[in-house]
Amino acid sequence: MTEVAFALLLGLLFAVGTYLALRRDVVRVVWGVTVMSQAANLYLVAMGGLGGAVPILSHGGGSNPAVTDPVVQALVLTAIVIGFGTTAFSLVLTYRVYEEHGTIDLDDLGEGA
Amino acid sequence: MAVDPAQIVIGPLLVALVTAVACLVLGFSRRLQVVVSVVGSLAYLLVVGVLFQTVATGGILVYQLSAWPAPFGITLVADPLSTYMLGLAAVVALASIVFSVRFVDPFGQGLSYHPLFHFMLVGVSGAFLTGDLFNLFVWFEVMLMASYVLVVFYSGAEHTRAALQYVVLNLVGSAVMLLAIGGLYATLGTLNMADMARRLANPAAFGVDPAPVLGLTALLFAVFALKAGIVPFHFWVAPAYRAAPAPVAAMLAGVVKKVGVYAIIRLYFLVFAAGTLPVGLPGVSGDSILDFYGPILLVTATASILLGGVAAVGQDEVDGLLAYSSIGQIGFIVLPLAVGAMVPSVRSLAVAAALVYTVNHGVAKSLLFLTSGAIFEATGTLRFSDLGGLVERVPVLSATFLVGGLSLVGLPPLVGFLGKLFVFDALVRARATFALAVALVGAILTIAYVTRAWNRGFWGPPLAGEVESHRGEVAVLVALALVVLALGIGGEPLVHAAQAASAAALDRAGYVSAVLGGAAA
Repeated sequence: MTEVAFALLLGLLFAVGTYLALRRDVVRVVWGVTVMSQAANLYLVAMGGLGGAVPILSHGGGSNPAVTDPVVQALVLTAIVIGFGTTAFSLVLTYRVYEEHGTIDLDDLGEGA
Repeated sequence: MAVDPAQIVIGPLLVALVTAVACLVLGFSRRLQVVVSVVGSLAYLLVVGVLFQTVATGGILVYQLSAWPAPFGITLVADPLSTYMLGLAAVVALASIVFSVRFVDPFGQGLSYHPLFHFMLVGVSGAFLTGDLFNLFVWFEVMLMASYVLVVFYSGAEHTRAALQYVVLNLVGSAVMLLAIGGLYATLGTLNMADMARRLANPAAFGVDPAPVLGLTALLFAVFALKAGIVPFHFWVAPAYRAAPAPVAAMLAGVVKKVGVYAIIRLYFLVFAAGTLPVGLPGVSGDSILDFYGPILLVTATASILLGGVAAVGQDEVDGLLAYSSIGQIGFIVLPLAVGAMVPSVRSLAVAAALVYTVNHGVAKSLLFLTSGAIFEATGTLRFSDLGGLVERVPVLSATFLVGGLSLVGLPPLVGFLGKLFVFDALVRARATFALAVALVGAILTIAYVTRAWNRGFWGPPLAGEVESHRGEVAVLVALALVVLALGIGGEPLVHAAQAASAAALDRAGYVSAVLGGAAA
């Protein structure tokens, strides 16, 4: 059940991200791309398996419990940090585009070519 | 303390990183910063040379970060393929940096030009050296982050527009790459490339299902094609190359683009080719995962050669012509790869051909971009209609442009001749009639746009008198032109290196056992 809900959520996020990325407003495009990369992060977490215990093995316990894969969580942390940097840069770039062109409408930007 | 000889593997990364940080710290003194930047590029060339020689004589070197054994830690692998690509990066980076010292205005250099350039080099080196798929993603991001800022460096109207396109496309590419990596990890249970190859080669023993791998690698292929600027993922190429300062364009076209090509060779020819899928598709003869990519590579290469060539013929400005020519020339690198994927008997030769061509395009195109930068500086324009008679106005720059252009055409004794020779050799041996026809049309288009550029920009009555160009810049251009000539005349070491790299790119057992230890193979 969790998996179906997660899959639907991921689908929805990617749909929202794609929709926003195809808008004419540059800020929305940036948000769209950000939503997409966050959806990719969620997907990565899901790839580690949604069930399972906390990935800390009990001290000296006899049997190791089934744990959630910790590797994907390390991956997601890395991806989040990278996403933070790229989002900040693209927002600054958007502002710079506005300064240079006086507009952030992609149609107007294209006509200035 | 005993030093593990394999620690040299991390050398190129360290040198570039230390140079980048030192340039950042020394921002207060422009003179010192420039010295450190140039010395850093020289040191980079040196350490890459040592690494190249060590690997050529001693075989694959593997460095396990923090001594975590593969496949649990992050692994750096230097094999002949990696060192071959690093060598190209080192030469082009040195030329571009030395050229920039005079070319980029002092204010711009004082901002952050040198640190960014070296951070880009860090990303490139990491991508060439890593043996871990997620780590490859991280190095891609390091490289891209620096290149975003370098593309928008002049931050005028057209530069911001080009950078916006470049950034958004690559951000979507990064998200897609994460998806593919996550899926591959869930399917194969590992991120180590050697371990992936081992598991794919023997799916039953490791309990993995190779079927989803095909779709996931297709996602990943789109990302690499985007990085390499292969049609239909080429939209960012021309605006970004024209917006970037000339030395950065040289680096982007000469080296950063080739990271995508390297990733395709490394992952699809070495890692994913290990997997077999008994699914018959029209036009696919074998059942290895690589066989599925033969037709895809062929179609994209054909489209790149034709679109890039035709668009380059129609350009009105030198930099636009060079940018579209990059799309066409990347087709010449992918075309032998396509034939190699489809015809296993010529695979080794085909990969070697692609690698020789990679060096040809890397060196010749960066020479051309740098020359176009110097021409712009001397004349203030790159429009063919305003140039005219450059042979009399800037004779040396014209000569270096001619050398670069003829190398793209493939005239002996330049290195381009070796590239074209190997590509056509591979195609003829594979009896790939269609690919041969495409390559012929592409070669004719190349002759057409180089000739057109020469006729309109360089011959004819000069529009003004002779103009001065800076001696330092000219010296770099002449040196790079001599490299193009020397690699053509004394092409033996280049060909040997390309063959060794190609052999390493196809020697899966050797790669796997080097990374995972003898017992694993």
